[in-house]
Amino acid sequence: MALATAGQRAAISWLRSHSESKGSVATMNMIEKILARASGRKTAEPGDVVVAEVDCALLHDLSARSCREVFEKKVGGAMAHPERIITVFDHQFSPPTEDKATILRANREFCYRYGMPLYDCGSGNIHNVAVQNGHIKPGALVVGSDSHSPVQGVMGCFCAALGNDSYAATVMPFSKAWFRVPETIRVELTGQTKPGTTPRDVALWLCATIGEGKLNYQAIKFCGEYIDSLLFWDRWLFPLMAVDVGAKCAYIEPDQTTIAFANSVGVTDFEIVRDDPGTQFAASWRWNVSDLEPQICFPPTVGNVAPIRDYVGTPIQWAELGGHGGGRLLDIEMAARVVAQRPKHERVNFNLVPGNRHVLAEAIKSGDAALLHERGGTWFPASTGSNQAVNMGAMAAGETMISTHVRNFPGRNGSPKANMFLASALTVAAAATAGKIVDPREFI
Amino acid sequence: MASTDFTALKGRAWQFGDNVPTDQIVATNIVFSPMDVVLKHVLEELKPEFPAQVKPGDIIVAGHHFGQSSGRAIAPKAIQAAGVACIVAESFARTFLRNCFEIGMPIIECRGAGTLAGDGDVVSVDLASGRISNETRGVTLQGRPVDAFLLNMLKAGGIIPLVKQTGADLGAGRA
Repeated sequence: MALATAGQRAAISWLRSHSESKGSVATMNMIEKILARASGRKTAEPGDVVVAEVDCALLHDLSARSCREVFEKKVGGAMAHPERIITVFDHQFSPPTEDKATILRANREFCYRYGMPLYDCGSGNIHNVAVQNGHIKPGALVVGSDSHSPVQGVMGCFCAALGNDSYAATVMPFSKAWFRVPETIRVELTGQTKPGTTPRDVALWLCATIGEGKLNYQAIKFCGEYIDSLLFWDRWLFPLMAVDVGAKCAYIEPDQTTIAFANSVGVTDFEIVRDDPGTQFAASWRWNVSDLEPQICFPPTVGNVAPIRDYVGTPIQWAELGGHGGGRLLDIEMAARVVAQRPKHERVNFNLVPGNRHVLAEAIKSGDAALLHERGGTWFPASTGSNQAVNMGAMAAGETMISTHVRNFPGRNGSPKANMFLASALTVAAAATAGKIVDPREFI
Repeated sequence: MASTDFTALKGRAWQFGDNVPTDQIVATNIVFSPMDVVLKHVLEELKPEFPAQVKPGDIIVAGHHFGQSSGRAIAPKAIQAAGVACIVAESFARTFLRNCFEIGMPIIECRGAGTLAGDGDVVSVDLASGRISNETRGVTLQGRPVDAFLLNMLKAGGIIPLVKQTGADLGAGRA
């Protein structure tokens, strides 16, 4: 399906960009422009180390704990812009033990004391809550603690994950962070998929096609007629997978879809930043997605993806819509269409986890929430669901889950001998009704 | 560039493969346990003997994309607390790489690292020049020298002590 192998294209593009760039006027892409502006420089080139002003920083309950402990023990003092540091309690929608309640309480009091905005238990998953509540603006420099933070590049901003010590040492005290300016790979997707192949299938396939860790330290620009045609929340699934191919950040140039979404969540004060005309990339790759079948990611890592037919018939005991890759309103709507045709299988537990409170409110208004409940699904509070089995989602040895989550490493959900398959909401819902993995095209 | 004590390291190798996730360095069910508990289980899923047999000064030698998954610094802190002097890998997951330098844990990228050494071989590393040798086998590879900004961070002992020396700009551009 690729026009040339990734390696060939990379080599050709690298030679071209490095031979043409000498002596010409420097052009910058969106990432470089944002990093340059935020660090008070005229230009930023791949390899430069910059210290940049942070517009928004995101923490979830697990990372908030680590960052708070490092800050309190080793740094202390005032914070430059506590109002920019957003905490979302997303792994725990309700602490299951006294120990965890004590930690959440300490995190909560830390937020209150410094004036950092807090989305407490039941608000949804960190990324989903941040964008839905208007904290992410086009053109902004955003940092996250969660490894899937590059997802926010969907908004046409820079967003990369930082560790605990960056937060404690520079983000909290100075609202700054260091970055090495990454090289950028341009990924263009053309064509249109057939019914039953959703954007999630394309994103899973693309992750495996590029390869786990293959774009280490680099940025990805997603573009092309396929990306352009997608709804905002479907575009979300592409920068979401950037970390799994090793990328530092990813972006989609802001356009009318981006601006309309930003406005819909009350974000009106922002600066649109786009690539300079004629920008060169470290490599440019193009794929046509038209013939892609529904896909499934199988254990033990996210780089293992196959057409759904390879796994049809695999029995499942758990199905879940939720996590960073699911729990969108679009996922709930797809699942509702499936269970309207056939109820949940009696030997499957079907977990429904809204990505944020707005999703649940809309699903209640449309009637999908009631339909999914009546057809056997179980609603959980808005959260990150079974991610890492902090609050839910542990499995016994030999059990199998299919979900919209983003990770499937052994031991992440209870027993290292349990299996996690990752797929689209359509495929997850279809499996929930069948008790086994099935081709979701029978429901459309 | 002359080597100084903190850039020249030598130790006994532990070999790991590609794509080692933080979840297999420190399992999610103990990730927030006290470090003395974590140390009893660090990397045990991949090498059950590792927690009991790792010694201060040992060197981890691994393949591609070491440390993928969680962006929290707990996995590198556990490896550091186990006394590992350096991790040599074909490549690292970027949050893991960043976290290592920020906590003062030396790491270096080196093509060929995945097959450089077996468990117990003696490996020497020079962070500044990028030279990495398996002294047991008599093989030397050229890794990617750690750049001045990050060497400076390691020398300071991590990003928190570095900020105390430099202020908010971390000496970027001055290194």
